[in-house]
Amino acid sequence: MIPQIRLGLLVVALVVAQVALFPHLRVDGVAPDLGLVTAVAVAYREGPNAGAVVGFSGGLLLDLFLRTPLGLSALSWAITGYVIGVLQGGMLRTSRWAAPLLGGLGGLLGGAVFVLIGGILGSEELVSSNSIRVVVIAAVYDAVLAPLVFLLVGWALHEPRTASRIRGGRWGA
Amino acid sequence: MLVLLVLTAVTLITLDQRGAGGGLIGSARDSARDAIAPVQSAVDDAFRPIGNWWGGVSNGAALKSANARLRKQLADARSEARSAQPALRENEELKRLTQLSFTGGIPAVATQIISASPGNFEASVELDKGTDDGIAVGQPVVAGDGLVGRITSASKRRSTVLLLTDPASNVGVRLETGDAGVATGHAGSDLLTLDFVKPEVNVKKGQVVTTAGLQNAAFPAGLPVARVVSVEKTPGDLTQRITLRPLVSVGQLQFLDVLRWPQVLAVPPAAAAPQAG
Repeated sequence: MIPQIRLGLLVVALVVAQVALFPHLRVDGVAPDLGLVTAVAVAYREGPNAGAVVGFSGGLLLDLFLRTPLGLSALSWAITGYVIGVLQGGMLRTSRWAAPLLGGLGGLLGGAVFVLIGGILGSEELVSSNSIRVVVIAAVYDAVLAPLVFLLVGWALHEPRTASRIRGGRWGA
Repeated sequence: MLVLLVLTAVTLITLDQRGAGGGLIGSARDSARDAIAPVQSAVDDAFRPIGNWWGGVSNGAALKSANARLRKQLADARSEARSAQPALRENEELKRLTQLSFTGGIPAVATQIISASPGNFEASVELDKGTDDGIAVGQPVVAGDGLVGRITSASKRRSTVLLLTDPASNVGVRLETGDAGVATGHAGSDLLTLDFVKPEVNVKKGQVVTTAGLQNAAFPAGLPVARVVSVEKTPGDLTQRITLRPLVSVGQLQFLDVLRWPQVLAVPPAAAAPQAG
């Protein structure tokens, strides 16, 4: 199976887990954003364009189950995937802290963008001090789950050693 | 690439907000929810006990007081057969739903909760019944102890309840003194705030607030809503800072009643607009 198909199935599986399973596993009323962490993991491995595409796809899928405007999660996660993809270029790639660090950072950025854009688009109730608490808790939860998601994304994108791969090449410029 | 994705997302958001893609986007959402409903239902059945355990673990602050209360309940429950407990609880919950004293004989549709919202900035639950069973957008939803929320979307076989704790929920309520206010939810919080209550009004901790039932209200008058948990008065402020805890904790329930209350207000499906109680 080619990596993109494996990754697509992984994104669908993680969003389904987020919709069906994680409402039962909330911490202080807050659930993690598995699709967002997936976009971050892809951005870390494949660069900004890949992170943006996966963030957009996962976000759009989740938007079908939310009451907020369709496209809001897609927009927030695409921007987050892109930014993390740009930032990861300067990171020490062997660091074992990369996954939780980027997962947490992605959670903070994705949550903040979601709240700000939602507020600008008319959902004023999103912009409140309580939303900051929600974003921070979600980011910590994302950081905790990030190593597992990074592992799954690594498996999905794994290619035989003989195949040459140019970073960002299979996701377009 | 990012520019293309951003433009696509902004177009979708605009279409959704203006209702231009209402049919298409609404159908897509209904189809997605209907498609995943069996999975959610199965996962819900499998993970409800784990979710309950997790809820206890993750709410450490409330655990001590809950622990003391539960010890007493446990002692009382020892005489009951352990295997019969879930059935007894369901039976009790359903019995309470059939004996609601505060609904004043308004006909109701008994429903079961399938799942909770996956979003962090909204509080809603999916029900196993929809328009085929007489459920319509705007109808109030209650449980044994009082108001839970209202229906904000309904497909043929499913419907969504906007809970009182959702940040888009605003319910007009009345205190025991007769003074009115608006109970508002907040993202990621189990508590509500009660706004627009003047400083001279005597509000006490423990008071129960009920739906105000003003003219053209979204809810019938007198439905119990929440209990006052704290009151703060700051000199110079025009209103009091009052915090409420909803009487119904939906996380512990499986069954809800949807009241066939006459729909007076036109409620948009997105439920973004505040509602009068």
